Amino acid sequence: MTENESPANTGRRNFLIKATTAVGGVGVAAACVPFVASMNPSSDVLAKAVTEVDLSGITPGGVRTVAWQGKPVFIVHRTPEEIQASTATNGVIDPEPDSQRVQKPEWLVVVGVCTHMGCVPNKEGPGWTCHCHGSQYDDSGRVTRGPAPKNLEVPPYHFVADNKIIIGKA
Amino acid sequence: MNALVKVLVLCCFSIGAWANEVPLEKVNVATDAVTISRGAEDLMNDCHSCHTLKYIRYRDLVAFGIDKQKVDAWRGDQAMDSPLLGQFSDADAMQSFGIVPPDLSLMVKARDGGSSYVYSYLLAYHNSPDGVLENPVYPATKMPDALGIASATDAAQRTEIQGRARDIVSFLTWAADPHDAERKRLGYYVLGYLIVLTTLLYFVKNQIWGRLK
Amino acid sequence: MPGRIIKWIDQRFPLTSFVKHELTDYPTPRNLSYWWNFGFLAGVVLMLQVVTGIFLAMHYRADISLSFDSIQHIMREVNYGWLLRYMHATGASAFFFVIFVHMARTLYYGSYRAPRELLWWTGQGLLLLLMATAFMGYLLPWGQMSYWGATVITNLFQATPFFGDQIVIWLRGDYTVGDATLTRFFALHYLFPFIIIGAVVIHLVALHTVKSSNPSGIDLAAKDNIPFHPYFTIKDLYGLGWFLIVYSVFVFFLPDSLIEPANNIPANPMQTPNHIVPEWYFLPFYAILRSVPNLVGGVVAMGLSVMMFAFMPFLDRSRIPGGAHYRPIFKIQFYLFLLDMLVLGYVGYTPPTNQTLLIGQIATLCYFGSFLLIPFISRIEERWLVRRGLPPAVIALMESEALTIEQRRLKHRRRGEQA
Repeated sequence: MTENESPANTGRRNFLIKATTAVGGVGVAAACVPFVASMNPSSDVLAKAVTEVDLSGITPGGVRTVAWQGKPVFIVHRTPEEIQASTATNGVIDPEPDSQRVQKPEWLVVVGVCTHMGCVPNKEGPGWTCHCHGSQYDDSGRVTRGPAPKNLEVPPYHFVADNKIIIGKA
Repeated sequence: MNALVKVLVLCCFSIGAWANEVPLEKVNVATDAVTISRGAEDLMNDCHSCHTLKYIRYRDLVAFGIDKQKVDAWRGDQAMDSPLLGQFSDADAMQSFGIVPPDLSLMVKARDGGSSYVYSYLLAYHNSPDGVLENPVYPATKMPDALGIASATDAAQRTEIQGRARDIVSFLTWAADPHDAERKRLGYYVLGYLIVLTTLLYFVKNQIWGRLK
Repeated sequence: MPGRIIKWIDQRFPLTSFVKHELTDYPTPRNLSYWWNFGFLAGVVLMLQVVTGIFLAMHYRADISLSFDSIQHIMREVNYGWLLRYMHATGASAFFFVIFVHMARTLYYGSYRAPRELLWWTGQGLLLLLMATAFMGYLLPWGQMSYWGATVITNLFQATPFFGDQIVIWLRGDYTVGDATLTRFFALHYLFPFIIIGAVVIHLVALHTVKSSNPSGIDLAAKDNIPFHPYFTIKDLYGLGWFLIVYSVFVFFLPDSLIEPANNIPANPMQTPNHIVPEWYFLPFYAILRSVPNLVGGVVAMGLSVMMFAFMPFLDRSRIPGGAHYRPIFKIQFYLFLLDMLVLGYVGYTPPTNQTLLIGQIATLCYFGSFLLIPFISRIEERWLVRRGLPPAVIALMESEALTIEQRRLKHRRRGEQA
């Protein structure tokens, strides 16, 4: 016992205990991973993260609301006048040219969730109005009156055919 | 101690096939993608017209690595996300067989003997001397001899059917537990880690207890 | 800084003195063997079950049309759902294994004897709670074994005098095991572990009042006691390492060895599987139930077989200190009892035939005999040992024990005189 108390031995003991504590700590942290991961969307939810939409039924000037990841997405078939009005301005609160918000000028695809508090805006006259707090958006989904801080989000989507898009994958 | 022995005794029993009167033919299922894909194809041809696999979706097959074009051909106009439901309605099945064919997703796990049971069952069909089709593994079965083993006479044909049965059972084994390979892989890491940790704890324990006179 | 925080807490809450009293100064016999690790392991398994259970409950559906599917959803689609479920299912068996070893240790070393009767009885209560929790949890996957197991066990309450049938219907909330049964079992399966945690606290309070027993069977002198921390914390952790290795082998490589194949078939109230068996940890008690050819008698016998352990402090009144260590006949009795449990387990697993029924009846008699004969056998054993001449060490132990009893009596009398 007495010889165990030499400084060298104490040092070795401290190192051993520290190393074991570290290895044990890493193990506990790793063991938490599956528990945390289990609360993320499961694979069947992830599979629904993509929505395919057939655009052929939407007449010019018409709007369709589809669900994507549980959220409403507005798909607007814009008329030439609406396109012209949208390209003329650059937005007010969150300036952004219309060309950056659409892939084809006649099709506007935006997530229908107000960037303020998450309500769904209503289509009213040109653009949308959110009835929760009175934010207004134009026909490019850009905010024209607060309190919303940002334009309506454009989801990742791409055209698989002339009248078919897949939302969820760019 | 008693509990440990009991577990061991029970393990021996559940592996042994004492519950079945007919001894089962042991089969070593394959876990490689090639065999399992082949099994999936045979299953789609030979079994899927009557049997469902409702816990497997077409996208699961693609995710596992089965050729997407094949899966597209199997699913026809069904969505990638839809499960492998049969082409037979339950009512039709009742009329033809007097029974709804069981779902196959968990078949390997749902029988004593597991994969060996399914394999032996598929290959147990034979004609009795008076020409009646029999299956000693499950005498009450309503299923016809799907693989045609009873009418196969020459050795080459029988070997081909046995291979097909093994492929199908391999696929069903995967279908019953798609995370099996992942689980075992993770298991080796966990065990390796635990052995290191336990060894370290052993040394720490010795050092701490060494302080005692 | 940490020192100041602890001081701040100590003025408001007895943190330091608690840690000191229950850990760093808590006297523990230094001769405890690894058989004393299993109480700590039981606590760890309890925590594992609670945590995996809570995370499983986030994905599980308690509805007869959804529960089987939701288990498959967990097994196939939830991230690491298969791991959580296998940990929980294996954990149930691990829990019983650990508890059985813990109880066997108590029986072998006579740890239930005075002054540890209350400690033993709170443990008995914990065993009953654990059995109830495990039984209710087994219904949740809604497989064939789940369904028929629950049907058989709820039917046991038919044996209740006068109200048997009504009690069974009340328990199920339906004429057969159904949606109402599943939902209430889920609610209670979630609740019971927290009652168990409370009961564990009581168990620990009792333990820390009477302190741990030890292999010699008598209370040691102060010099043979060492602080719990760090000596037994590290010993418990080292034992935990071994436990986790065995547990992981089952979770990762043999997870289905403890799940009956029939439970992978959805419950079908129209068809009973040919061979229904309870989980392995209920097999000996199930065998006793089947061995009595009368419904009420069988139920009473099974209930008694679990409760027999509680009578041990009354049955074993030998003056020889401790358990089997110094008592050769008690030791033989102990091993015969384990053997009998194995025989009962085997009988419980096999389908009933005339032969196994007879073996089961004999084993049942042996089971109760090995409890009820203890007073007589231990009396004979004590006389025989004294006549044969005990080793001097044991005589010293007996004398010192007699002395402490005498001292206690003296102290008591003195206190009485003062009053």
